[in-house]
This record gives sequence, C-alpha cells and structure tokens, in this order.
Amino acid sequence: MKYSEITIRFCGIAGDGIVASGKIFAGACANIGLHVMVNNIYSAEIRGMGKSSATIRFSTSKLYSMGDGLDLLVGMEAKESIIDLRDVKEEGNVFYDTSTIGDVEEEDSLVSHITPEMQGHGLPIQKLANEATGTNQGKNLVTIGAICYFYSLPPEMFVDQIRSVFAHKGEHVIDVNIKAFNLGYEYFKEHYPLNNQFEFDKTSEPMALTSGNDAIAKGALDCGLKFYAGYPITPATKIMEIAAKELPKLGGWTLQMEDEIAAIGAVLGAWFAGKRAMTATSGPGLSLMCEMINLSVMAEIPTVIVNVQRGGPSTGLPTKVEQGDLNIALYGGAGDSPRVVMAPTDSEECYSGIQLAFDIAEKYQTPVIFLSDLFLGQRIETVTIKENIDRDRCTRKKPTSEQLEDFQRYQITDDGVSPLIVPGKPGAVFSTTGLEHSIKGNPNYEEEVHSMMTAKRFRKFESIVEDLPHAVILGDETADIGIAGWGSTIGSILEGMELAREQGVKTKLIKSIMIHPQRENLFRKFFASCKKIIVPEMNYQGQYAALLKSRYGIKPIEIHIPAVNPVSPLKIAQKIMEANSELSQ
Amino acid sequence: MKHVIIGAGVAGITAARTIKELNSNAEVVVIGDELFLPYKRYLLTEFLCDSIQRDDLLFFSIKKLNELGVKLRKGEYVKSIEPSEKVIKLHHNEVVHYDKLLIATGGRPGLGLVLRPFKKHIHFYYSLYDTLILKEKLPEVHKCIVFGDGVSCLDLICVLHNLGKRVTYITRGERATFGLEEDDFEGDLHEFLEEKGIEIITEEQIVSVEESDQGYKVETIQQKTLTTDIVFAWDFYKPNISFIEGSAIEKKLGILVNTRLETSEKDIYSAGDCVEIYHPSIKGYWINFGLPNALEQGRVAGSNMSGQNEEYKTQEAIVFNLMGTSLKARWWR
Repeated sequence: MKYSEITIRFCGIAGDGIVASGKIFAGACANIGLHVMVNNIYSAEIRGMGKSSATIRFSTSKLYSMGDGLDLLVGMEAKESIIDLRDVKEEGNVFYDTSTIGDVEEEDSLVSHITPEMQGHGLPIQKLANEATGTNQGKNLVTIGAICYFYSLPPEMFVDQIRSVFAHKGEHVIDVNIKAFNLGYEYFKEHYPLNNQFEFDKTSEPMALTSGNDAIAKGALDCGLKFYAGYPITPATKIMEIAAKELPKLGGWTLQMEDEIAAIGAVLGAWFAGKRAMTATSGPGLSLMCEMINLSVMAEIPTVIVNVQRGGPSTGLPTKVEQGDLNIALYGGAGDSPRVVMAPTDSEECYSGIQLAFDIAEKYQTPVIFLSDLFLGQRIETVTIKENIDRDRCTRKKPTSEQLEDFQRYQITDDGVSPLIVPGKPGAVFSTTGLEHSIKGNPNYEEEVHSMMTAKRFRKFESIVEDLPHAVILGDETADIGIAGWGSTIGSILEGMELAREQGVKTKLIKSIMIHPQRENLFRKFFASCKKIIVPEMNYQGQYAALLKSRYGIKPIEIHIPAVNPVSPLKIAQKIMEANSELSQ
Repeated sequence: MKHVIIGAGVAGITAARTIKELNSNAEVVVIGDELFLPYKRYLLTEFLCDSIQRDDLLFFSIKKLNELGVKLRKGEYVKSIEPSEKVIKLHHNEVVHYDKLLIATGGRPGLGLVLRPFKKHIHFYYSLYDTLILKEKLPEVHKCIVFGDGVSCLDLICVLHNLGKRVTYITRGERATFGLEEDDFEGDLHEFLEEKGIEIITEEQIVSVEESDQGYKVETIQQKTLTTDIVFAWDFYKPNISFIEGSAIEKKLGILVNTRLETSEKDIYSAGDCVEIYHPSIKGYWINFGLPNALEQGRVAGSNMSGQNEEYKTQEAIVFNLMGTSLKARWWR
C-alpha cells in the first residue's frame, strides 16, 4: 500500500521506552521535513506500574489533531495493548512480540484479540533486544527498525536521530541501540519482505518541533519573564523545569514553593515589585489559587497563571486530558471577581498567546488565566513559530509627574486602569490590600466606594476588548453550519470540518484565543449567520456552550465529551452530518 | 464445543463451514499461518496473470466470515500440540484449548541441503505472499529459471511463458514429465513445452545461486553456468506438519488417518495435503494432493467433528489447464 500519512501507537508499560520511541520518531520525521504530532499517554503511577503509550501521526500535510484510528499498533506489552486494538483502523496492522517468556492464556493474548480485518505481524522483540543490548532494554528500537522497513522509510533518518537522542549516554549506548534498530529492520526484511510505501518529498526542509508547554515557557521568557514560582504538578511541571533551567541565564529566578498557594503568592509579590512573573499549574492547583486570584483582582496586581488542564475533579486523572476547568477559571473565587481567560488552540498560539497574556495582565492590572490542556501541553508537533523576542517590554500604565505628586494608586479613570508604580518610589505612598479600598488604597467599606471600585474593576474589561485579537472565521463563510470551539479541541474540529467537506457539507468555525472577554459583536454576527451551531468540548457539563448560551442567547448542538483522549475528528464530522440532515429536512 | 482448525486452506475452511452448517452454535476457530483472508490457492495463477482481481481469490469476505460466526486468526502458526491436555501452543506461546482439533496445514515446497544456503536468492511459487512479491518483480524479469517437479512447477512454467518471459526448466529427470501420467493429453508433454519455446535442461540440478551484475548466476551439478533474472526452485513438496513432533500423533510422510479422517489421537482429525490415507487403487497409504480431495476431506472431517459418521472416498482426478489443453491428472497410478 501507499501512504502519505500514518498513525502509529507504541503501547507498553512504563519503562519500555515508549516516550523515547515517540521522541525518536518525532525528531526523525521533523528532520526530513514531515509534519508530525506525538501524544504520550502514561499512567500516574511510578515506573513499571502502568500503561504507557505514544501515538505518532506523521504526514506530508499539516496536522491539526491526532486524527482517528491507528495504521499500526505496536504491542510492546500484550495485556496492556488489547484495549488499544479498538483504535486500529480496518486493514490496520499490529506488531506483537513472539518471544515472551512463559505460556499466555487466550484471553490475555494480544494476538487472540486481533480481528481478521487487521493484520498481525509477529517478531521476537524481546529476543532481538536482548541480542542487541545484552539487557531487557532496546525493545522500542527493534520495533522502530521493523517499522522503518515496513513503511519503506529511510533508515538513516532514524539512525541519525538515535545518535542525537542518546548522544549524552555515550558511544556504547548509541551502538547497541543502532544494533537493535538494525535487527528489527533485518527481521522484517527477511520475514515480511512485501512492504508498504510512505511517499514523501525527499527534498523538504527540516521542521522545528515543540510542545505546548515548551512554547509557553519560551514565549514567556522571550517577553520578559523574570520570576517563576510554582509547585510541580502533572501536566504543567515541564514549564517550571524550563524556567528553572533558562531563567537564571537571563538574570531571573525560579522558586519551587511548598504549595500552589505559596506559588501564586510569590508571583503576586514579584509583580508587585515590578517584575514579570508567572506560575503554571493544573486543576487542583488552580483551585488552591482562587483566593490569591481574588487578591490579584482586588489589589489590581497583574498576574499570569497557566493552567494545563487535566481530568478532574480532585486529583482526578492526572495524566489524561480534559477541558473541565473553564468554569473555575471564569468564576472561581469570592465576590465579583473579573479576570481574563485565554485558551490557546495550538503550540503557535501557546507562544504568541502567553506574550499577549503578559501584556494584558500588566497593562490592565488583572489576573490572566491561560488555559492550556494536557494534550496541547505535552504533545510534540512540528510548528512554525514566529519568534518575538523583547525581554524588556513593559505595558504598564505609568503615572505622569502630576499624578505622582498626589499619587492615587486606585485612581478612577475612564478605562478603569489606574497608574501603577513599583513600591518605594519617593513620595508615591500607597496601600495595597485585599480589603475594599479607597483610591489611595486604604481600607474602606462604604457602599459608595465599593460600588465605584467594583465598577472600575469591571470597566477595565470594556477597554481590554479593544486590545484583543480578532476572532478568526475559518472554513466556508457561506455555510449554514457554524462551529464554536476552544483550546486544543479546535484541531479536531478543523479535521472534522474537512471530513464533512469531503462529504460535500460546508461548515465554518469561529476561533478565538479569548474566552473572556470576547469581541462580542464578531461572535454575534457569526452566530446570526448560522442556521445550526455546534459547540464541541472536552467536559461533561458543556462549560463553553453554557457561556456562549448566556452571552449570546444561542441554542447550540452541544458535544460534551468528558475526555481521556483528544476529541475524535470523526465524532465531530458525524455531528456535522447530523446537523446537515436536519437542515435538509 | 470448541472446534479448532489449524490451517485456513481449502480443507480447513470447508471443514469450518461444514461444522457451522451442522451446528450454528459451535465455536469454530481457524488458525492460518498466512497474512490474508482464506483464499483459493488454485486461482493464484489467474491472479498473477491479472485474469482475476485479488478479492476474487477469497473464499469469503470479512462480512461473510462474521456472518458465518467463524473466528479467523491469520498470520499465526502452531508450535506444538499436547493431545493429553487438549491444547495447542502458538508461536508466541499462547495456549489455545480445544474440544475437537483438525489439522489441515497442507503441504509446502522446501529446499534440500544443497540449495538451502541460497534460500534468499530463490523464489517459491506457492502462496499469495509469493505471488504478490512475484507480481511486483515481474515487470523487471525477462529470463527465468525453474527447477522443481510436480503440477505446480508445470503451472509456473506455463504462466511465465504466457506472460512473455523466457523460461528455462531444469529437471533431474530424463524428460520433463512433472510426475504426471496423462490420460487424454495428446502427444508428448516434453516436446509440447519445447515447441512452445521452453528451454528444457534434463539430468541436471542447481547447486548454487549467487547474485551477479546480470541478476543471478546459477551453477549446475554438470558445472554449467547460467544467468537469469529470477530463480524458482524447490526440491520437494511435503506435508507441513513439523509442529506435531512429540505429540504422539502417528505419521509417515503425512499424518496417518482412517477413512473417518481421525488421527491416532482422540478428538484430533486431519485433512488435505498433510494427510496420508489408505488408497484402494495403490493398496497403501498415500497423500491425496489436489483440490477435489481437499474439498471432500474438509467436508468429511467437519462432519465427523460435529458428531456425524462419514467415510472419505478418494476423488478421481484433478483437471489442469495446460496452455489451453485440458489435462486430467491421476498421479497415483
């Protein structure tokens, strides 16, 4: 068979080198100019105690999601791979190990669950790995070698990558891994000589790889991040790791705090002291931060909080994706507590979006919650990021010399934004507190003051709208079916729209990084032009749909998926087709 | 009742179908070592010539297979049988339990000690996999050498000739007979092939095959050197039953069965090209190769596995189409 796009999943247990397989594949594909997306799924338990998988989709065309179905499932660990057979496409392939030790009963055998529609290929993975490395390691390289032959991929693309990935481990490790790769390749060449063809342009330029977490960290560093405080939590920890490594080089600081409350407290302190600062967490951490977010609102101290969403509630599903934190991001905390909520849709937006988040937070003295998710944060993908490096940028509203003479930290202004200074400026004395306060910052509980200050804090949001990027309409503007989505679900929506288009159904999508506030007139115009509106998202309640319904009075078709895996484009396409059938009746 | 059938060829599939027809509730598992849905091996030549499409080779589609309720396990082979435990062990150490077992693994070509070291340069023409590889290579092939015996060898020579390739046939015999005795083939087969342009080298055998600048270099026992684009060779065609070693199932060249197709071990049956059965015409045990025998043995075995009591009767002849001439073969005479 000939392919221009392939999806492969390595499935095993922690310690099988599954994540390394994804890394090697991604690097190899990017180096020869292919588009690639890798999604790692692993258990929350420690090494050797749970399922781990890496799904790799590579193509000659741009990818927006993980797509639907697997062309190949590599079952490194039989029992754990059985359930993944349901994801194998019709006529898809399964590689399995024929060198497992000890008898296996039918119900525990991966092979016995392979249906006639699929194609099973046995190879002695463990045996060849032992032969190459003299240890139990190297199974992943054996299977990569087999895959290389199976799809007629150039071996050198993997050999180069193996050298690069294992460079820090020395020549011996490189050599045994290349040997494992070659043994897998030769085994398939001898036993399954009839291979497939992956066709691609061999003159393509190499592409860059990143993850959403990488892009957020880099974006923040490039726009002047000076201080990071956080507490490790899956799937956000990578951001802190990068900050810890890179910030000191730029004269900044990274602190691991005792918990998330302390982390955001430290971040508020840094902003108060005039430094761009950030924390990153996930749902449980965001819950803990709500009180401090309220302080940020009340005291009008800028802050940037990245929330890489995972399955919840509570500890929930630490290593699975979900978009269930929209409500807490929008409404979490006490009182009337306005904040900006943004949700990047891909890695490019993670980079540019986090810079916008800093600019808005600083300019409007508000918390900005940046809602990424596990899939977007951890997936590795080829991207074209337009770098924007300005580490001295400052968007804060500074007081004029007249304002400094009688400094009013919470001065009432038309746009709701008051002048902001770094404490310690001679003559400019002010108080900052979580209590309601006067224009000087002194506690004041009068009804008139509270009304005035609340209105001021909300008035900022009318001004913010003017600084926001416009929402983008994608697809066919004449279509009757419109889709509104957010975050990483956008990728699946785009591919679902394409599947529908192939069936002759036109759709359009309104895509915006801004969840709150939004340029409402654009959304109103878009919704008014739709006969059917579909809102897919990865949570049970339909949190974004609820927001849109209350804000725009629409009655959308809602797709609520309390997700563990990224949304299936096919599922979205099916909803589109259903909507189209209803329109045709 | 769980019926496990080893082999997804004509005999195995016919048995599976028979069992389900007699008892639709029976659990039937068919284990085949090829990567494809069960197909009609006897149509491979027509597929190679593009007379039929790949789907035309199939016994049934996936849909039909599912409707029939037969569980097919492709690309798997059996390592061993333990009749006392009523289990078979597959190549990846999976243990499969059975109540009734049918061995229908057919026969296959093989290489003797002399040619075995050159296996990677030698093609078989036996399975769909072989045929698919051959189909890919054929456009680049002009000259072929065929070394072997039997009807399938003759079949290969014919198809290569019909596809416009220059064919050289090497045989150990004095004449090219393919082990056949013809009833109604008019004239001499050897001469007939030579008239068609097949080069025949007699009383010879290949002793080495090496890659060369012009494809492959073939050396013979008489120290002839030939060049060719592709080499087909096999020394024998024998039952594919190595996995029964150590199982106590009685065998000679093939598995010995009675006329109910029962082996020496309880609840284990055998059918098709892997079987040796008493043949009244030769008054001894013989392997009844060929499609009609495989079909009938599959039916009888399936029936008996389902509790019936049927006896197998040898089928009379196979019909072979040789370049437009119909040839009836009864090679056991």
